Amino acid sequence: MKKLLLMTVAVAALAAGSALAADLKFQPGQDSKFNWKSYDDFKAAHADLKGETMTIFGPWRGEDEALFTSVLNYFTEATGVNAKYSSSENYEQQIVIDTQAGSPPNVAILPQPGLLANLASKGYLTPLGDDLANWVKTNYGAGDSWVGYGTYKGKDGKDAFYAFPYKADLKSLVWYVPENFEEAGYKVPTTMEDLIKLSDQIVKDGGTPWCIGLGSGGATGWPATDWVEDLMLRTVSPKDYDGWVDNSLKFNDPKVVNAIDEFGKFAKNAKYVNGGVAAVASTDFRDSPKGLFTVPPKCYLHKQASFIPSFFPEGTKLGQDADFFYFPPYASHPELGKPVLGAGTLATITKDSKAARAFIEFLQTPIAQEVWMAQSGFLTPYKGVNTAAYANDTLRKEGEILTTATTFRFDGSDLMPGKIGAGAFWTGMVDFVGGKSAQDSADAIQKAWDSIK
Amino acid sequence: MISQILTAIGAMIFGVAVCAAYFLFSNKLLDLIFPAKEGGDVHRAAVNLRRRSLIRPWLFLGPALFLLAVYLMYPVVATLILSFYGPDGNQFVGGANYVWAFNDTEFRQSIFNNILWLAVVPAACTFFGLVIAVMTDRIWWGNIAKAVIFMPMAISFVGASVIWKFIYEYRGGNDTQIGLLNAVVQLFGGTPEVWITIPFWNNFFLMVMLIWIQTGFAMVILSAALRGIPEETIEAAVIDGANGWQIFWKIMVPQVWGTIATVWTTITILVLKVFDIVLTMTNGQWNTMVLANLMFNWLFRGGGDSGRSAVIALVIMVAVTPIMIWNIRRANAEMKGR
Repeated sequence: MKKLLLMTVAVAALAAGSALAADLKFQPGQDSKFNWKSYDDFKAAHADLKGETMTIFGPWRGEDEALFTSVLNYFTEATGVNAKYSSSENYEQQIVIDTQAGSPPNVAILPQPGLLANLASKGYLTPLGDDLANWVKTNYGAGDSWVGYGTYKGKDGKDAFYAFPYKADLKSLVWYVPENFEEAGYKVPTTMEDLIKLSDQIVKDGGTPWCIGLGSGGATGWPATDWVEDLMLRTVSPKDYDGWVDNSLKFNDPKVVNAIDEFGKFAKNAKYVNGGVAAVASTDFRDSPKGLFTVPPKCYLHKQASFIPSFFPEGTKLGQDADFFYFPPYASHPELGKPVLGAGTLATITKDSKAARAFIEFLQTPIAQEVWMAQSGFLTPYKGVNTAAYANDTLRKEGEILTTATTFRFDGSDLMPGKIGAGAFWTGMVDFVGGKSAQDSADAIQKAWDSIK
Repeated sequence: MISQILTAIGAMIFGVAVCAAYFLFSNKLLDLIFPAKEGGDVHRAAVNLRRRSLIRPWLFLGPALFLLAVYLMYPVVATLILSFYGPDGNQFVGGANYVWAFNDTEFRQSIFNNILWLAVVPAACTFFGLVIAVMTDRIWWGNIAKAVIFMPMAISFVGASVIWKFIYEYRGGNDTQIGLLNAVVQLFGGTPEVWITIPFWNNFFLMVMLIWIQTGFAMVILSAALRGIPEETIEAAVIDGANGWQIFWKIMVPQVWGTIATVWTTITILVLKVFDIVLTMTNGQWNTMVLANLMFNWLFRGGGDSGRSAVIALVIMVAVTPIMIWNIRRANAEMKGR
């Protein structure tokens, strides 16, 4: 028995040893496009954390989890903290379970300010301090907006800064394969009217213009909310958009119903979507873009946020094999300019510890962002990073939209109360694509909203 | 890891030791309070003995009763109290959560779907289980067939959902259908469908999964009961000229009726708690919501609302209770008969 115990101890020690000597994707000090000074400074300032453990809970799974781990390895290497990352397909529910059960992770990273506001109001989050809020304000593009998205009312009813924005997504993008466009002689449209004309042209040429997939397990329907939000920004004023998000503009207002109908023009048109309308709700959003890359292409256009290249076929070169254009505004609404819809993940402390604080500080360093930037699927509004670190021009182009933005709108469904933005809105969109009218779907969502007031 | 294993082992040893100590010392204490020899007073000693045998069972039952109270009664009472409070359980709202529930379309949808499940699944499982049990009794490969039919019982609900997801899988446009059901439909010249999104009927596509899982359970129990039927009664019926149909309905079914009822009610209670299948297949979308999923969604999605989910939990409990009471009563009646 004693021998067995000793052997297990030895194996455990070996495993722990190998975890500490984690392989770093880019060797410190080697590539000048990375800000290694920030890494060295951070390492020097946090040498006292060796041997501590901390848990991180986040939304990233699969490919993204590997990317996040590659960043986390630098934190582990610098501090010696034993950091464990975990995730869940139903992270919205899991974090509520964990916090209410009294066993939260040290750090929770979530893409939903609405949900975080709810957790903060129950006293589950630890304020990060005004200094950090000011730092975000001065160092981030559209810093005020970002501080706003991380500031919630606590259990005491007072506003405080709870969530540090790390990693942003840009939503107003339409992806296409340049080669297919060249072959068919299509041009990138600059107005919504042109985009619809292009779609009609593709249908006339015997092709299918769009790949749309709303499937996402328990979260099925959310990709449709992005469409509606983008179309809201293109048909009504930003003020109306803000009102819609806090329900001072009713969900079944004609302005919203109109935006849902505009989405229906794409998703509920059997000629427009690959696989027919029935396939829209049942196709997984992760599988949906693959239609762009088949020969012959199953579709020519795919509207999805900046994270989607993670799900492109392996070896796809951005800017060459696949590119994006800005989801265009209506020429009939010149007063709305060129609105941009975005989102992001926000890091919060759900169980305070020295290591957790150090981790938030780590996320502030340029290196914590550049390592991910240099791979794929990471954008940041942080102006202190070296944009040369972006893996390709496509990402750099997206990143610059974020850092130079004076203001941009956050994903509406993530700001609405969880029950709506991560519930009734999804179901409503699934029902809408399934055959319900826009008015009926909007009425049902508004009714759900009334019931939680 | 090591420390966790050691803690677990330590906790087990500690637990057993505490239990043993409790029984030893409480017994000793009882013996001290009511001694068997009261200074030669035989009458007092007899009274003491009687008292001891009256108290001793309660002493032994005590820990179990205490744990039952903590783990069963307390949650029920706490849920009842929560159902009168707001989303975070701090603000008293009276009956507002109940009013909400009965006006909420999703809640009514769930009740309707649950009734559908209750009407179909236990009946289908019991029926198929009985028919298969009778049929497999007569053929030489009956045991192999039984083993195959029983196998789904060993698969978790989520595992089964993954299997059935591939059966109902739909591929759009001209893609090759990889879903079994759509492949079959296509083979016979039909058009493929997105099965789990067809309102109303999708409920039945989900129920098929539970029937697939539970039929094996019904079959095994019923087949054991059928074996218990005395050969003579069947032989007598054969001699009297009964055909197979009559033997089944008039001889076999009445004799295993008690077992059929047990199987039926067991599956009924399981159906009221159905959750995993709906969560993994549709998460209640396309009108397939059931009570357990609705409760989970209200409790955990988007920050949660403990009041409303408590109401739904109570509804499920109230629905299960009569079936359980009936089941226990029947079991008691059977015990008395012996």
